[in-house]
Amino acid sequence: MLRRREIGSHDEQVTLGALFTSFLKVTLCGFGGGLIWARSVVVEQRRWMDELEFTETLTLCQLMPGPNIVGITVCVGAKLRGAVGAVAAVAGFILVPWTVGLAFGALVLDHAELAAVQKILGGLSAAAAGLLIGTGLRLLIPHRTRWTALLVAAFAFVAMAFTRLPLPLVLLGLAPLSIALTGLVRAKAR
Amino acid sequence: MNDSAASVALAAHLAVLSSISFGGFPTVLPDVHDFVSANGWLTDRQFADYFAVSQVAPGPNMILMMSFIGLKIGGIAGAVASAFATFGPPCTIYYFAYRLWDRFRDMPWQRLVRRGLAPLTVGLVVAGGFVMARAASSGWASGLVTAAAVGLMLGTRLNPLWILAAGGALGGLGLI
Repeated sequence: MLRRREIGSHDEQVTLGALFTSFLKVTLCGFGGGLIWARSVVVEQRRWMDELEFTETLTLCQLMPGPNIVGITVCVGAKLRGAVGAVAAVAGFILVPWTVGLAFGALVLDHAELAAVQKILGGLSAAAAGLLIGTGLRLLIPHRTRWTALLVAAFAFVAMAFTRLPLPLVLLGLAPLSIALTGLVRAKAR
Repeated sequence: MNDSAASVALAAHLAVLSSISFGGFPTVLPDVHDFVSANGWLTDRQFADYFAVSQVAPGPNMILMMSFIGLKIGGIAGAVASAFATFGPPCTIYYFAYRLWDRFRDMPWQRLVRRGLAPLTVGLVVAGGFVMARAASSGWASGLVTAAAVGLMLGTRLNPLWILAAGGALGGLGLI
């Protein structure tokens, strides 16, 4: 607790502008892995959180819905400057890349019918889909020895890929089942 | 449905999905796909194109992809509404969760819930990729590219941007 206060002791000096520009930097550097840059800026460059606090915050964000990296942004902003700090940090993270991306993307998509653009987009989306599958499978590696985890992952995959069930229904069905299974297996192991 | 009614319907749907997008927005992609194609707003081809373009942009890819859908349906207003629906609810949840963090930090049930939810997230992310691959597929060659991307993602520490660039180049050369 003491450690936290020491780190937070210069809270007043952090300006909203500094929050905005720091997360702008994270987002612009964040090609293919924003988390690496968030840690580098928040922990090493700005020293707004120490390593442990950053990891704890990430854990919290992983428990919550939404993109974890945006969650880190909200938490750092909230820690330093409360609600306005969170808004400034998120604005820094989203505003510039969103505006540029939307304008540039709309231009490309306007010409999506062109045969050449169509071919490039076809190749890109095939690769991008593969990256998403690969990312998912990588997340499974730490759980590969737990048969309950593999079973639940397979159920979730089949439910979303092959049935037209809405996600809220799948989550409501599988989340309690998965948590209960995890609890049962652990109780047995004890 | 006129444009603004459609934009509102899309934003409302996205707001619900983003509020339950445990493990990130890619987990809800299959649901978004079903929703927009059931309404006849986007073809599979367009959905795959939007995904491809958003993936090569830096920053928040999924917010951008949802904004492309909003832009198609309701112009700039639709794009802004979709963006807010995608990041607004999670940000609000993150903010209040952070305020409560100290209170539920060390509770034993937290670990159990985390371990229980993790594989579910994995299954949903993989399903998201599978649905995208199916939407993007134009034959065995594109399937091969997807499989190669999976392999490179798992087996190497290559920057994903190179893999995307290779996919785009192969497509541009007419090999897919």
